[in-house]
Amino acid sequence: MNDETKKQINERYEKQLNKGERFWPDTIFRDLIMSVGIFVLLILLATFIGIPAEPKADPSDTSYIPRPEWYFLFLFKFLALYGQLPLIGKIEWLATVLIPTLALGLLTLLPFIERSPHRHYSKRVLPISIMTVMVVGIILLTMTSEVPTVAEDGSTLLGTLQTISGIVIPVVAYILFFVFKNNTRLMLWTTGLAATAMIILSGTVLALAPEKEAEETVVATTLTDQITAGQDLYSIHCTECHGDDGSIAIIEGVEGLEGEKITPINSRDVLYTITDASMIELIAYGRPNAGMPPFGKTYGGELSKSEIDYIVAFMRYLWDDRFEAPVIKPLFPPLADGEVPSYDVHIQPIVKRYCISCHRPGKDNNNYLMTTYEEILTTGDHAEFNIIAGDENSYLLQTIQEKIILDENGEEIIGVMPPTKALKPDVVDVFLRWIMNGMPQTAADAATLSTTPSP
Amino acid sequence: MWKNIYLWLDERIGFNDLYKNLLDRPEPKTNWWNTLGSASLFLFILQGLTGIFLTVYYTPSPDHAYDSITYIMEGVAFGWLIRGIHHWGATLMVLVVFIHMLRVFYTASFKYPRELTWLIGIGLFLTTLGMGFTGYLLPWNQKAYWATTVGTQIAGTVPFVGEFILKALRGGPELSALTLQRFFAAHIWIIPAVLAALIGIHLYLIIKHGESHSPTKED
Ligand code: HEC
Ligand code: HEC
Ligand code: HEM
Repeated sequence: MNDETKKQINERYEKQLNKGERFWPDTIFRDLIMSVGIFVLLILLATFIGIPAEPKADPSDTSYIPRPEWYFLFLFKFLALYGQLPLIGKIEWLATVLIPTLALGLLTLLPFIERSPHRHYSKRVLPISIMTVMVVGIILLTMTSEVPTVAEDGSTLLGTLQTISGIVIPVVAYILFFVFKNNTRLMLWTTGLAATAMIILSGTVLALAPEKEAEETVVATTLTDQITAGQDLYSIHCTECHGDDGSIAIIEGVEGLEGEKITPINSRDVLYTITDASMIELIAYGRPNAGMPPFGKTYGGELSKSEIDYIVAFMRYLWDDRFEAPVIKPLFPPLADGEVPSYDVHIQPIVKRYCISCHRPGKDNNNYLMTTYEEILTTGDHAEFNIIAGDENSYLLQTIQEKIILDENGEEIIGVMPPTKALKPDVVDVFLRWIMNGMPQTAADAATLSTTPSP
Repeated sequence: MWKNIYLWLDERIGFNDLYKNLLDRPEPKTNWWNTLGSASLFLFILQGLTGIFLTVYYTPSPDHAYDSITYIMEGVAFGWLIRGIHHWGATLMVLVVFIHMLRVFYTASFKYPRELTWLIGIGLFLTTLGMGFTGYLLPWNQKAYWATTVGTQIAGTVPFVGEFILKALRGGPELSALTLQRFFAAHIWIIPAVLAALIGIHLYLIIKHGESHSPTKED
């Protein structure tokens, strides 16, 4: 740039200054409004959306689908699509290093690459076109970042559409830009068409994308939630050997450990001598020599770090007399006269606490699974007898009232449930009312069945 | 009495010069797009203030980081609000800085005499992303842990030196307590210091050259 152009630029700027405003108060005033607006927006976001709770980091949980921060999502999507390309798709560093570095380098050196002194849009169509296609691409890649490239049924249609929208069209547009370099109109058309095609394709991809199932991870944030979560997990995983209150000293009814003498884990011997850290490690690693299996994911078990933390919190606050338990919500809200319980509010938490430890896949239970509403009603070797609406002789009701089910020959086919310790009367009452009134699923269904006793 | 103090101070500081040089400057006609730079500055200051508050309770160790965050959210009065603002402020800052950069690009404000302002700006953009990247790991939850795992993996694919960069970032082959320490130090000391220095130069250059006018047909 020669001194003549510099002088011209500076003169034009002077002219604009004379027609302009004062920094104080004009410019600053608008800046202030913007900042205050942003501040209010932040307070609203913090208050009404907040920060979703997340479970604690768990390096062993390889099932977790890692995702980067949202502003890097586009790069990840780009890498995933790039990996699908034939041939060059295999050369990873081309996409992870070379292309980003090149893009960033061009952006950095922009003032020295775009050297014409012109500033008006009409004289900068090439750079504006390149940037616009890039920005549209980045936004669309971010928006489609959750859509898988290979569908569950193995179809690669979505992946292909995404690759066309995210890589092929931009590349073609860039080539055309340099072909049409001197024709402003054609460049603008290319930009418009490319952007439109990318938007339509990505829209199609989003519309075709499989509905994402909301992942359900329980994250207990308050102490009482943690203790309750811990108690549920304990009931599912530990009761068969340690009993629902940790008091078992001789294991019964567990294959391979029959009659094994163990230290009751609710005793001071255990609670006072084992620190939280070793307790967590003990549960994660188990006692393979003594017969306790590992529970931590690191060692092939099922429990995440957070879940083991919850169990330890439960053990401490309920059994360790050095800790004072906070008030804990009852397992289910007590029933009034004539009130009908529902699956969602009453049966589900009860089943989780007292039955699921055995009635889940992989356990000895006559194939009777109890993890969902449907399963409870339809599975089991005696599915047709287990639960019969309005029938007191439903097998489930009999077994939980300590009646054994016998076949024609008088042989026992189902023992009492739960096998080790009878349910409390109020829990039995919930099951009774639920089945006698036709097993409503939601609280609303149950409410319509309820009767208020007339005084 | 107040008047005397004012006069004494004015004599040493020179409020009038400050006013003339910083505030009473002529500007070309500006519009709402021109507020994004100062909005970035505002967000930087806000992140600084809320961040300082968070470090009072935060513990950068894998054993305690998660619990200290839970404590900020549950136990500290208005902790949720401060962390909420810091969390969303980070997101918004990346967004606002990016849009600010786009507006500078589209109005070609990076041209003579503002080339250096642009170069410093690129530094600001990268350090802002660096703040986001290092801050994300600190809560030590699943999302954070795995995001950083994949993020650092990318660095590992660089030919020849990838392995070295990966280990330097993580402080070892795996994410560990060392990684958290490193990211924490970078997030609260190293990167903010660089960012603040760059912002200083950026602002000096903007005052020196004045803000560019929106391009006209003649330009
Ligand atoms: C398959 C049976 C089984 C299951 C299930 C089981 N444990 Fe154990 N557990 C054992 C045996 C056997 C021991 C060894 C007892 C001993 O050495 O006194 C043990 C020991 C322990 C100890 C240490 C006791 C001591 O004296 O050192 C703790 C604590 C413990 N278990 C907690 C749990 C928790 C919590 C769960 C549920 C996540 C669980 N266990 C599930 C069988 C089991
Ligand atoms: C300690 C493990 C254990 C627990 C806890 C348990 N069950 Fe069972 N359940 C079994 C086993 C084992 C069978 C298979 C029959 C038998 O061996 O008695 C069974 C069978 C049943 C059956 C018959 C299924 C069929 O189709 O044959 C019903 C109904 C049943 N359980 C209800 C319950 C209910 C309700 C609870 C919770 C209150 C419960 N069980 C808790 C172990 C358990
Ligand atoms: C922490 C981040 C940043 C802060 C705090 C910041 C701050 C500011 C402020 C206050 C202005 C003047 C007002 C305005 O034009 O909006 C400005 C202008 C400018 N910024 Fe930034 N900025 C940041 C990032 C960037 C980035 C990422 C770039 C580009 C790579 C950039 C390039 C420029 C340029 C060239 C100007 C002059 C524009 C003109 O004169 O019209 N800045 N910046």
